[in-house]
This record gives sequence, structure tokens and C-alpha cells, in this order.
Amino acid sequence: MTKSFTLFSFATRNLKRKPLRTAVLVLSIALLVSALVFILSFVRRVDTVVRTASDRLGADVIIVPAGSRGAADDILLENTVKTFYMDKGLVEKVGRIKGVDSLTYQTYLASITGECCDVPETIVVAFNQDTDFIIKPWLDKAMTGRLKKGEAIVGSESAMNISLGLTEVDSHLFGNLFKMVGTLEKTGTGLDTAIFIDESNIEDILIKGKSGLKPGQISIIFARVKKGEDPSKVAGDIQDSSVEVNAVARKDIGRNILSTLKDLNRVFFVTVMLVSVLSVFLVWAVFSAIANERAWEIGIMRAIGAREGHVSGLFLVEVLFIGMTGSILGIVAGTTISVFLAKNFMLLKNVSAGLGLAERLVIALLSLTAGVGICVAGAMSPIRRLKKMEPLLAIRKE
Amino acid sequence: MPQIELKDISKIYTVGGQTIKAIDSVSLKIARGDFLSVVGHSGSGKTTLLSIIGGIIRPTSGNMLFEGGDISNLDDDALSGYRNEKVGFMFQFASLLPVLTSVENVMLPGLFSSADRSDDYRKAAEYLDIVGIGDKINSYPSQLSGGQQRRVAIARALLNDPDVILADEPTGDLDEETEADIMALFKRLNHEKKITFILITHNLHLAAQASRRLRMTRGALEEF
Ligand SMILES: Nc1ncnc2c1ncn2[C@@H]1O[C@H](COP(=O)(O)OP(=O)(O)O)[C@@H](O)[C@H]1O
Ligand SMILES: [Mg+2]
Repeated sequence: MTKSFTLFSFATRNLKRKPLRTAVLVLSIALLVSALVFILSFVRRVDTVVRTASDRLGADVIIVPAGSRGAADDILLENTVKTFYMDKGLVEKVGRIKGVDSLTYQTYLASITGECCDVPETIVVAFNQDTDFIIKPWLDKAMTGRLKKGEAIVGSESAMNISLGLTEVDSHLFGNLFKMVGTLEKTGTGLDTAIFIDESNIEDILIKGKSGLKPGQISIIFARVKKGEDPSKVAGDIQDSSVEVNAVARKDIGRNILSTLKDLNRVFFVTVMLVSVLSVFLVWAVFSAIANERAWEIGIMRAIGAREGHVSGLFLVEVLFIGMTGSILGIVAGTTISVFLAKNFMLLKNVSAGLGLAERLVIALLSLTAGVGICVAGAMSPIRRLKKMEPLLAIRKE
Repeated sequence: MPQIELKDISKIYTVGGQTIKAIDSVSLKIARGDFLSVVGHSGSGKTTLLSIIGGIIRPTSGNMLFEGGDISNLDDDALSGYRNEKVGFMFQFASLLPVLTSVENVMLPGLFSSADRSDDYRKAAEYLDIVGIGDKINSYPSQLSGGQQRRVAIARALLNDPDVILADEPTGDLDEETEADIMALFKRLNHEKKITFILITHNLHLAAQASRRLRMTRGALEEF
């Protein structure tokens, strides 16, 4: 017969004696950690989205109608659906600017929406196949030759929605029938949720009158600069050449978002700090109460030979249990929130879904450390007081 | 060399500016295997004396030697080790942890010992059986009577095979029959395992069964 009795089973027994109090502690740690996970995922995700998107964009400068710069950021980085138009003649004008090497342009058409379910709006992009260098690099190897009228290429996420039957392309692209002939690789940018058609289709769409677009309009121009030219300077020159456009160098794409993110970070930081301090205080208060309640028991334990280390060990196990359980709950909750709840906010879309396993692990580990650390920090001084308890107490009546 | 030697021990408590001399210059030599009984009025200093011998409180002056070494020179860990391994203490008042079952309470000293613990459960169950509550090993203290709790505490003091058992009125709330059983167990352990016993009791009949009889009067100790 070997039944073991360990410091751990002793500690869990102690935790169970006031289940409500233990639960409150665990939940507050869970709350803190879930907020932390969510915030870290969010910050990390937005940051990566912005950086990879601008890195992967095959253009050095983008040119959009004056006043539409934010909208362009939104489309390129966040998969939001916005339309804005400018005169096609600007393409030629931009092409004449010194330093510009090659140009292509796209026209954003108002979206199609999902048939049945919660499918994000999808933007339809008409592009010029002769000059394109934006979409081509992402084209599936399977797709060869030119895109014909009535054919469409879709971003990886749209492709999934279509194949799941969530989006009906054939009948709903502005009353025209389209055939899906190719898929883009996953880019992690706004391309993923778009549907691409050749610009020759625009004529038909205009005839059907289902788009806000007028003849002779485009949405965005992408430029590559000549070797050795500074994209920022070229963007500046383009900007100066016409009041009708905004020109942005690649590295400045998403700068608004990133600076907003910095402000958000500050808010997050203050929030997390406040909640952490509160949690430390809560743990401290609870363990101070525990220290008083169990003074007599500690006296007994000391009198029958518990060392200071045994006493602090016992309470440390309790603290760690609370910290670990709370943190794990918090990590699960935080991740769930970032994956699901966040889908309801444009800016937060796919906050966690887009993170790699390694990134998520790092975030989970950081949050776990924070959760457990806060518990230990809060319990530190009560535990120190407990372990210094004199065994003397045991010989006096309770 | 005596197993235990008290050299001119005094203990003075100071409470709110008032001083109480609980132990007054006590000297005593105890050999391994001695069975001592201590009687005396309440407040005469019996518990204090036992606590000093058990390393639970430190004397104000004098030396307490165990096997020749002064235990007041030990650091906290070593003194805890002394309490854990050398001494089995049966407290005057209830001393079981409420969250633990009988058997776990008995196993508790094992948690604080570095020796092999694999046999603890069997030993704990056996001791509980010996003290007559083998059917209550999974009961919590709140489910036991005062006398039953007392017996659990006795079993607990035995777990780590101590060299000395310090029993502070251990049979105070037991019926005569059980009291006799416990006393018989003590004598057997004293005889077979050469465990030294210091037994505080109000029962003169029990006290008379000891090999050495002591009386405390206002902090002073005399053998009779
Ligand atoms: N921790 C303490 N603080 C102050 N006085 C104490 C303490 N412990 C015992 N005393 C006092 O010391 C004297 C001896 O107490 P104690 O050793 O418990 O006697 P006994 O066990 O013989 O009843 C008593 O007067 C008691 O009030
Ligand atoms: Mg007493």
C-alpha cells in the first residue's frame, strides 16, 4: 500500500478550503492574462500586417486620389472595402516624372458580399495585365496565359470562401458571370480577400450600371522607381506635380496605422500596468488574510519540524497553482477573443489568426510569466512573514 | 554522556512590561531510555520546560544539550531538523491540521524530513491502528471526538521514529481504558525501542509508573 501525501496535495487541499476566494484570484489573473494576450497579439499582428504588407507590395510608390491616402492604406493592409476614383489621364502624367521606371494601375470596384454567412465584404479589383507587376508575383503556378474577359483570379482567402460556397462569384459580380481560373498564394496583405479581373470587364460593368465608377476612371497607380532613385523623393515630386493625387513611398505606407498603434500601445501599457498593480495588491491582500488565518497551523508545522523553506514552499505551490491556472485560462480566453471576437472589428480582424505558432507561443509564454510573476510578487511579503512564524504558537491554545 | 542535559535553564516571559519566571534555574540529566513523569500545578512551567527540551522555544539563560551538543547553537534549519527527527511532541492542546485526514496528519512530519518516505502510509495506518482508530484513517479532525484527535496526534509524534517523546498531558481527555492502552504503548516503545519519554500528567497513578518522577513548583524542578 503506497499512498503518497505530498506538499502539492497539501497545497491543493488548502486551496479548496475557500473555493470562492481561490476562484476569484484565479479569475482575476485569468482576466489580466487574457487582456495581455489579446493586446500583445493585437499589437504584434497589426505591426506585422503593416510591415509585411508594405514589404511585399511590389511597388516603390503608390499614387491615389488626393484625400484617399488613408483609404488606400486600409485596402492594402487591412482588407477593408473602399472605393475612390481619379482620372486615368494621371497615369501618363505620373509616368513623365523623373525617376519613375514603370507604372501600373488598378480600379477598385464596389464589393460583393457573402451569400449566406458572415463572410467579409470582398473588393473586386480590375487591373491592367500588360503592365501589372503587383499581382503577377503571387499568381499560382497553375495559372498560365492571360486572363480572359469573364475570368477571375481570387485571393487565397476569397478562394476559400468561394470553395466553401460562402461567396457566389458566378452570379454576383455586378450582374456578370465570372469564372474562377486561378488563385493567389497567401500574401498576408489586402490581396488575400480581393477578386481580380481584367480591366476589359469594366465596360460591361459600367453598362450594367452596378458600380459607382464612371468611364475613364481608375483608383490607384503603382510606380517603380529607377535604380538608385530615392522613392521618398520621387513620391514627393509626384505629389508636387499634381494637386489631384497623394503619392506615398512604400516605407510610409501604413505610417498612420503604426502611429495610431503607438498611441494605442501607450493606452494598453497604462491599462496593463494598472491591472497588474491591482492584481498584485489583490494577491497580497488575500495572502495576508491567509497568513493570519493559518498562523496557528504554521506554528504547528514548525513545531513538528517544518523548516522555513517548507512553509514558503507550501505557499509557493499554492501561489503557483493560482498563477498557472489563471494564466492558462487567460491564454485560452485571450487567444479566443483575439481570434473570434476581434473579427467583428475591422482594425482587429484576424488579430491572432494571422500569427504564427511560434509568435503565439512567445506571447503565451510572456503572458504566463507575467501572470505567475504577478502572483508571486503579490504573495512575497505575506509568505516571508509566514515562514518567520515562531513554532511557539503551537503550544498555546488556538 | 547523558542523552539530554539541562544546565541551569531559566525562562523569563515578558508580557506588557511584566516578567514571569516560568523556569527557574533547572538542571537535569536524562539518559537514553529513561521514562520521566512530571507533575505540578497548572502554570508551574511544565509545558515551557518541555518546549525548551523539544527545541520549540529557546531558554532565556542556560544550556540545553542533546547528545552533548547545545541546541541553542543550531541555526533555524538544523533546529527544525532536530524537532522533526529527534523529537516526537504530543501537544497539550488540539494540534491537528483541519484540512488533512487522520492519516495525512500522521504523515505530515514525513513531509519535512529528508529520509525515505515510501513507507509512511503503511506506518501511519499502523500507528493509527495501534492507538485504536484504524477505522478513522480517512476522517477529518472535525469528524473526530477530542479523544480521537488526541490519538491521531500521538500517532503523528511516532512517525519519524523519534529518540525522545515529549508528551504534554497526552491522555488528558481519554477514558481510563484508552489511557491504560496508550500508557502500555508508551512503555512498550520505551522498552523495545529505547525511546526516552518525558510525560507530563495530572494522573498520579500514571506518574507513579515512570522510572523517574519529577515535580514542578513555580518553575523549580525536584525529583522525588
Ligand atoms: N508564551 C508565553 N508568554 C507569556 N507567558 C507565558 C507563555 N507561556 C507560558 N507563560 C506563563 O508561564 C508560566 C508557565 O506556563 P506553562 O509552562 O504553560 O505551565 P504549565 O504547563 O505547567 O501549566 C505561566 O504563568 C504562564 O502563564
Ligand atoms: Mg501546560
